[in-house]
Amino acid sequence: MYQPMLYLHWKQIKLVLIPFVIGSFGLPLLTIQGLGTNGGTTVVEPMTALLSAQSWLTMYPLLAAAVGITLALSAWNWDHQLDHVYSLSLPISRRQYAMMKMGAGAALALLPVAALWMGSLVAASVVTLPAGLHAYPNQLALRFLLGVMISYATAFAFAAGTIRTTVIVLSAVLLYFLGGAAAQSYLAVFIPFFQHHDLVGNTFNVLLTTGPFAVFTGSWVLIDV
Amino acid sequence: MNRAIEIHGLGWRAGRSFALKNVELSVPMGSIYGFLGPNGSGKTTTIRLFMGMMKPDHGHIRVLGMDVPRDMARILARVGYVPERPHVYPALTVAEQMRYHASFFRNWDEGWAREMMDRLELDPDRKISRMSKGETGKLLMLLALSQRPDMLVLDEPTDGLDPVVRRDVLTALLDYVGETGATVFISSHLVHELERICDWVGVLDRGEIVAELPMNQFKNGIKRIKVAGAPMIPVDPPFTILSRQTANGNGTETWVVRGWQDPMRQYFDGVGMNLRDIVDLDLEEGFVELLRSSRPHTSHRS
Repeated sequence: MYQPMLYLHWKQIKLVLIPFVIGSFGLPLLTIQGLGTNGGTTVVEPMTALLSAQSWLTMYPLLAAAVGITLALSAWNWDHQLDHVYSLSLPISRRQYAMMKMGAGAALALLPVAALWMGSLVAASVVTLPAGLHAYPNQLALRFLLGVMISYATAFAFAAGTIRTTVIVLSAVLLYFLGGAAAQSYLAVFIPFFQHHDLVGNTFNVLLTTGPFAVFTGSWVLIDV
Repeated sequence: MNRAIEIHGLGWRAGRSFALKNVELSVPMGSIYGFLGPNGSGKTTTIRLFMGMMKPDHGHIRVLGMDVPRDMARILARVGYVPERPHVYPALTVAEQMRYHASFFRNWDEGWAREMMDRLELDPDRKISRMSKGETGKLLMLLALSQRPDMLVLDEPTDGLDPVVRRDVLTALLDYVGETGATVFISSHLVHELERICDWVGVLDRGEIVAELPMNQFKNGIKRIKVAGAPMIPVDPPFTILSRQTANGNGTETWVVRGWQDPMRQYFDGVGMNLRDIVDLDLEEGFVELLRSSRPHTSHRS
């Protein structure tokens, strides 16, 4: 059952996934552009090298999020179009079906991750770094893997539900952050507790610094000290 | 008698506009059960409820002796389903869709599926999105039959198909049933089609079951009769009067009756009426009269 489902997902996503794989392989190579190669004689200053590499940093989490979200949305796209009639007529439980579908997408997500890892290894092997700087291809690939999986899992959960459910959940989240921020400002005028405790801001910080989404805001470095 | 489908007190509501009201169904094992009803009467909803795709508001459903929804996966392993609208993945080819479908069904008969594919003239390399409605209909029937199911649930399986494809699909179905003795539950508003193949019939109108009986009783028991000297309210007729029409000025009335048997002629002598004529109605006429009689706004005396 799993293998045909994997094939089904591959058939559906391949035209989008292949550019992602190429992009994932190419991004580390773009990151080291201008830093000099093993065969060359030019070796740039460490600070120049760091700044050059860092100019590409935002691309990695964006790429990870794009890969994860695209895979998740495509996983349910055809089922939504067919009103889930076909999937519900298959002799497996809904939970098992969803898990297999999720597993198929997760397996396909490994392709861009592997491409990025290979691209990073190639980049690390060809670049000539100034003294004191090092390449971290494995760590970058691992962070990319986590980023892809977290964005995939989150988007998959949203995509699995009906449009109504998704709208309700997203509205609740937006209401919490936007409405909560407004309410916080208003209440802080009257209640001292809210002057010292920023509940909405703290939630946001927890999500992005200590929660699973922290992987996107951390250090995406191929080259560092 | 063993029942392939048993439904008791099934209720489901969609807003204010539509509801299934205490639907009772009993489909005998091994029968070909025609589920008749006009468009929008709730046939597809009833099917989706007993296929576990939707949750009823109330009622109890058993399919092949197992509870819905508790045993749904086990039930679906033994049921071939052809839905109202094509539901297969459009980007797959015929062969790919067959492989995908086969992976879920233990009893899938690959040899038989290949034979059916040749017989129905389906190209294995053809993409489903490029197939005609007729070809898609054939593929859906092929998928359902190649599972070797104990029961087939067919929701308007030939709707919109041309006569040649319709014949191919129904022939494949009847061959399978002849070979295996499987139960068939087939919904349609194409009355003539069901008349030829079904041995039981259930009629649904506006979310309510208005009749459920063997096809021969349904076909033979509905008559159009002409009577003279009919009183305003007939005394205890042994049949059900579905409709009454008064002829222009000559004192005769035309009745459509259900549950007719020949010895009932004597009833008219006993109550001082004169039976002038008896005409057999075909299933479609009987179906229309049954629906008319079940609708509250239709007067029995028109």
